[in-house]
Amino acid sequence: MKIHEYQAKQLIKQYGIKIPAGKVAYTPLEAKKVAVEVSKRGPWMLKAQIQSGARNKGRFLEKSAGRGTGIRYVTSRREIAKEAEEMLRHTLVTSQTGPKGRIVTRLYVEEFCKVNKIFYTGLVIDRISAVMTLLIANLEKTDILTIAAKTPNKILHVPLDTHKGITAKQVREVGAFIGISERHLPNLRKYLRGIFKAFVETDATMLEINPAGITARGDIIALDIKLTVDDQALFRQPEIVPLFDECEFEKRELIAFKNGFQYNSFDGSVGCIVNGEGIALGLMDLIKSKGGSTACFLNLKGGVDQDKVASGIRLIMTNPRVEGILIVIIGGFLRCNLVAEGILSVASEVGLNVPVVVRFEGTNKYEGESILKNARYPITITQDVEEGVSELLQAMEDNN
Amino acid sequence: MAIFVDNKTRILVQGITGTQASFHVKKSMDYGTKIVAGVTPRKGGEQHLGVPIFNTVKEAVESTKATVSLMFVPARQVLSAVMEGVEAELETMVCITEHVPVRDMLEIKAVLRGSKTKLIGPNTPGIITPGQARLGVFPINIHKPGRIGVVSRSSTLTYAAVIETTLAGLGQSTVVGLGDDMMVGTDFIDVLKAFHEDKNTDVIVMVGKIGGQFEEVAAEYYKTIPNKKPIVAFVAGSAVPFGHDMGYAGELVSYGQHTVQDKIDVMRKAGIIVMDNSNDIHKELQKIISKC
Repeated sequence: MKIHEYQAKQLIKQYGIKIPAGKVAYTPLEAKKVAVEVSKRGPWMLKAQIQSGARNKGRFLEKSAGRGTGIRYVTSRREIAKEAEEMLRHTLVTSQTGPKGRIVTRLYVEEFCKVNKIFYTGLVIDRISAVMTLLIANLEKTDILTIAAKTPNKILHVPLDTHKGITAKQVREVGAFIGISERHLPNLRKYLRGIFKAFVETDATMLEINPAGITARGDIIALDIKLTVDDQALFRQPEIVPLFDECEFEKRELIAFKNGFQYNSFDGSVGCIVNGEGIALGLMDLIKSKGGSTACFLNLKGGVDQDKVASGIRLIMTNPRVEGILIVIIGGFLRCNLVAEGILSVASEVGLNVPVVVRFEGTNKYEGESILKNARYPITITQDVEEGVSELLQAMEDNN
Repeated sequence: MAIFVDNKTRILVQGITGTQASFHVKKSMDYGTKIVAGVTPRKGGEQHLGVPIFNTVKEAVESTKATVSLMFVPARQVLSAVMEGVEAELETMVCITEHVPVRDMLEIKAVLRGSKTKLIGPNTPGIITPGQARLGVFPINIHKPGRIGVVSRSSTLTYAAVIETTLAGLGQSTVVGLGDDMMVGTDFIDVLKAFHEDKNTDVIVMVGKIGGQFEEVAAEYYKTIPNKKPIVAFVAGSAVPFGHDMGYAGELVSYGQHTVQDKIDVMRKAGIIVMDNSNDIHKELQKIISKC
């Protein structure tokens, strides 16, 4: 689960990390009002709160949003309301949001913070070696994505022990890498230990401070932050759960998420219902190789609740972009008959006008097949997925 | 012979009394799997599915000489359940449970390092040695004994790979699901090693997927094996648009831009036969077997 920048900043502040003074605003008037509270004379930063990186390179879809990006530098109070007016309720598209972008519902108004030097800090989990790793890079000349792509050797990797945290030696190593003077090392130690503790205690899977700035006095300030919390650990993060922002999701994605399923949408025309991400990936590959394209897939995982399974199937059957449905279930936990019953119950409720091809295998295969065989819908049962895909694509073409 | 489990392996089940556990353990027993004990705290002394229940793994091991554990415990208890198994020096633990927190997995990996125990999973369909032992939630009707070893990073594609071996008229020596999560107890290397040491495995089917670098690491390992058994592989996810669901620089910084095609290239260079289509695996298997 991702949370907004302003929420993450409040969170790391509790761990002793310095952040610029800032407040959230939902209207232009409010933006103007809180601006004085965070800084008397400015300048200020106005930052669109959507859960995406590269906001400073993003563009708004609407003309009325002006030419500015999702992050704006403002020097006068009068401009604040005008800029806020342009950003709020408009659609920001970044390299990470996809072409549809996200509607900006709130702004973070921050004091502008003058710094002498900026650097990147990332805390991630190295999946191969299964250890937490601290990533550090100097951002004097370029941004972190360019460094990662072109000169990855300029990123310092520091493996961390989950119990020991960041050692004094590692603090010195990072200090030397960034070029922090000896007398400011205590600030660096406090900063690094703070983010480590925040990472562990919030069950984060990724924490990025991009960038952190060093002021003339040697203070280290988190200028921007992104935090992703492990979905599987939310049961022990009661303070983070309420920060979940439904605006960041498509309606279908949200319903799937709430039922414990996975839903992904693309721009094709075949809707897939599967149990297992691997099958979804394999099917997408197969559909593509036969000249088709995937509209969306729903992964029912090991679902065992009949109503939930039906609500998942409804997401695909009511998606207007779907011109044909492919269902591939290899039952382990999930029983094929449950899926068959779900298909019929949704079909009787919303109708079924597109061709459906079904491949069942595993737990309760025959029960599932016989339920569908006796129904009066355009459902084909196949024993070979490849043939099934060809058959479905043909039927979709005939329909057009 | 098979790898990790056979019909002589004595198995205990952690969390045996749950509904899903009972359903699948019963099926496994009917299959011939030697389930000798269950472990459920505070239910020690009771019986379930005809086997004795113990409060701790240690007690179960002392009384029944179990060497392998099958785990159906809730996600938040997996860490302590693994620690119990490691302390009791179990050989293998198979964790079916999904949704184990990442931080717990970090701890688990640290506990496993330097221990005698290997963990398969979490979030895996388990291990099955057809005709001998079924540890997990595998559908039963698709497997048959044979000489193909199957190892997969994707639960459901494991089943698809098994069906491919069946289509080729062949059976499986052992089928291992590594688990769908980004961090799992055992990766390809340990399983490839075991299949190479197993006299009853002639060919290996390996299923990888987008994300991580498990396939690349396995390919590097495969290069170093002196007497290689043929590996027929498939890597799922080439139709997924690159960068989908990858909003964070850290993702890129730490894992690099590894597409499915990159993985396939590395694997082919190492001598692994990678199919473009998973439905062609059976044809390749037939080709290899006819040469033997």
